[in-house]
Amino acid sequence: MANTTSPRVASPAPAGAGVRRVYRKRKFSHRFRQDWPLLAMTLPAVVQLSLFFYYPSLYNVIAFMDYSPFRSVWDNPIVGFTWFQMLFADDQFWLALGNTLKFATAQLLFVFPLSITLALLMHGMVSSRLRYTFQSIVYLPYFFSWVLVVVIFTQVLGPNGLFSQWALSLGADRLDITRSADSFLFLAWMQWTWKDAGWGMIIFLAALASINPNLYEAAAVDGASRARRLWHITLPGIRPVIVLLVILQLGQILSVGFEQYLVQRTQVGWSSTEVLDTFVYFKTFGPGALSESYGTAAGLFKGVIGLILILVANNVAHRLGEQGIYRKS
Amino acid sequence: MATPSRKSPFRRRSLFKAAGLGAAGAAGLPALSACGDVTSDTGGSQSVSEGLEILPKHVPYELPYQPDLVGEPPNHPSAFLQYPRPVVEAVTDKPSNSGEYTVRVPNWGPVMDSDDPYWEVMQEATGGTKIKFDQIDGNTYGEASVTWLQAGDFGDAIMIPSWNARDDHTDFGETVINRFADITDIVSGDISDRWPLLAARPTKAWANSVWSTDPENQAETARIFGVPWIFEGGPSNACFYRVDLLEEAGLEVPTNIEELLELARAWSDDPAGKWAFGGTDWFSPAWFGLAGGHGWRQDGDQMLHDYERPEYRDWIDFRRTLVEEKLQHPDVGTDALDAPAAFVAGDILIDQNGWGAYDWMPDWGTGENPDFKMAPLPPLAYNGNEPQVLYSTEVSGWLFFRQDMEVEQIEELLDVANACAAPIGTKEFELIQYGVEGTHFEYGDDGSPTFTDQGNDTKNDSLAYTAMSGKTEFFLQGHEEVVQTRFDYNANALQYMAENQFEGLRMEASAAGSAAGQTMDGIVEDIIHGRAEMSAFDDALEQWKADGGDADRELFKSAYDSLHS
Repeated sequence: MANTTSPRVASPAPAGAGVRRVYRKRKFSHRFRQDWPLLAMTLPAVVQLSLFFYYPSLYNVIAFMDYSPFRSVWDNPIVGFTWFQMLFADDQFWLALGNTLKFATAQLLFVFPLSITLALLMHGMVSSRLRYTFQSIVYLPYFFSWVLVVVIFTQVLGPNGLFSQWALSLGADRLDITRSADSFLFLAWMQWTWKDAGWGMIIFLAALASINPNLYEAAAVDGASRARRLWHITLPGIRPVIVLLVILQLGQILSVGFEQYLVQRTQVGWSSTEVLDTFVYFKTFGPGALSESYGTAAGLFKGVIGLILILVANNVAHRLGEQGIYRKS
Repeated sequence: MATPSRKSPFRRRSLFKAAGLGAAGAAGLPALSACGDVTSDTGGSQSVSEGLEILPKHVPYELPYQPDLVGEPPNHPSAFLQYPRPVVEAVTDKPSNSGEYTVRVPNWGPVMDSDDPYWEVMQEATGGTKIKFDQIDGNTYGEASVTWLQAGDFGDAIMIPSWNARDDHTDFGETVINRFADITDIVSGDISDRWPLLAARPTKAWANSVWSTDPENQAETARIFGVPWIFEGGPSNACFYRVDLLEEAGLEVPTNIEELLELARAWSDDPAGKWAFGGTDWFSPAWFGLAGGHGWRQDGDQMLHDYERPEYRDWIDFRRTLVEEKLQHPDVGTDALDAPAAFVAGDILIDQNGWGAYDWMPDWGTGENPDFKMAPLPPLAYNGNEPQVLYSTEVSGWLFFRQDMEVEQIEELLDVANACAAPIGTKEFELIQYGVEGTHFEYGDDGSPTFTDQGNDTKNDSLAYTAMSGKTEFFLQGHEEVVQTRFDYNANALQYMAENQFEGLRMEASAAGSAAGQTMDGIVEDIIHGRAEMSAFDDALEQWKADGGDADRELFKSAYDSLHS
């Protein structure tokens, strides 16, 4: 045998190249014996994902078929990209895509920073009792269904709601914000903020808790103001989490929600509330649905764009020196 | 006659090549190329003629009691002013069955517990067959049924209301012939020996249960796929108004649209929370002489859709006026409005509803307010024209069977359906309608069944056996005053009933036409609610024509010509 030296002994390195360690890959059986408890712990998640995500995802293949639910999958004729061609020629698809991007941008710019602001506010609270009360109040709406959220907003801001009654008692006109297409973006923003900002805050609170408090004390001793401490300690401390969440949100940019828009469709009008998810639903199951293949093609398009955005954003994060959501070893 | 197998693997109806569009270039994707054309539903006409040979032979059933008021069925049904008693058994020679089945049905009432004694009584009354009913929320039934039927997951049988078939399913005919059992060989001919009550169902109702497996050869491939549900005839909806409130305000019942608007303006007081109207969206088109339904009607030598008629713009203008002048409740069209509650509370004066509401709402209303009184608005004239009343021309749904059921199993369920077809005056009718005497209902002072508290909590309006079949004949019955009013309304409405130009055909619009109609309706709603200007209508109309309207015109024109040339 040519080389019987210990696997952990480095081979001679060329001059100036430094020492390069060469490790022999351990056998699979050896790694399995060592890691099986960890693998066992992931098993439920793997099974769950396989059954309810990866297996159904295989059916995306019907986006390339002339599918009918009344024959087996492989009996359906292959039609290539025909459904995608029809999709890209469909004005309603572009309307839905435009609305989706509009709502996604608004969520990213006006809801995401609000979660950070709320977390910073909470973090600054000295009284733990006040902090817990505030925390409970702001994240409780996250657990409400969209139906309930819309009903509450209608009861408060609707034409027959609390504010309208108040306006009428003052001799003014009714408030029309829940039925206006023009103000729907503003209404949706209020709903996202009320429902989701508190929940987003919790993740940032966890990140803030991981910052070493000694850093603040040292900075305060050195005379750093509150703003300076925020800028030089707090924000850099939670930057990896911010980047991680931005990447994840970019991946979900074409998934702005479904129920919120579906529930308000009749009162605001379909053209203001049509997003990709409602488009997929109505084109698959609604009256006049063209085909399950058509809806699947739209869904697949959404997924591919999301994947591309995640890869790009992850790459940009690496270039900026951040970990991102994953890194090749 | 060709008789395709009940279990043939895949049959598809009128499909055409819809794509291969060359749209990729336009979409900026020249690299993509189509490998094939795709198929889509082009709609079609299905003959539901009473002359079809496959239909069961009609053998009349001798009614145990004759109606108090004799109308002109089906559009002017006869009526019972008093509940006929004592009830008699319609099925005296009961079968000895023992099978167990699951039947999925829509339900708008309470869900009855599985241990309720009612089920055992019904099992005995229907010949021993045990049925477990999956009672699903009727409000979401239509949308949900699309996926059940595609997956073939609905138990042994399922009831599909006709409005769900029309509004929620694309190409329902394709679903029917590929998913449900063909029962032609079981029910064709004289079935009066085993199923006398089903044999007494109107031939027109059975004809409504026919679909052809090959649309190009309808006569030879026509098959029966379901047991017809209620065949009511006549108007099934009305616009009701509060008689007590109108009289209190010293206002007259309107006879035309102009008077209706004057009344609405006089009554409504938005700041005070009083509005003349609740919902008007699906009932008011009849006032303007529009076709309703699929919307197509031959006018002279032209086949026109409602969208293309000047009356449609007037209808939009009418509804926009209601919104602009605050003559309708501001929450109309949203989930925030409980229209029946607002009607009973007197917040709204007029509301569209099914005739069924006339049965249950007065009890509720007088409980809240002893002066409560409601009545239907008469048919209203518009712009000097004759009033128009739209009416039902088909059955309200079907009971379908799982495709791979054995013939004996279907026959056993037909035994149950037969008992469920029993008309008023029979024990079976009473059990199905009111439940068990002493448990779910008691006879009132006037001799009519009145639900007990338990009956109201578990049986009243709970749909189960009611879904297995319509009755041999539909009669008006219930509160005497209500029945008399409805009977009179129907008698008066007969003269105004719009002609069904497609009598004998079941028309289905194409998928593209339906989708284009959905878009058009969305724009119209935007105009009505002030989210778009009337000027948007013309562009939308042209788009609708291009997206499927003109193609559907050909379809309906050809169907009309086949009937009238």
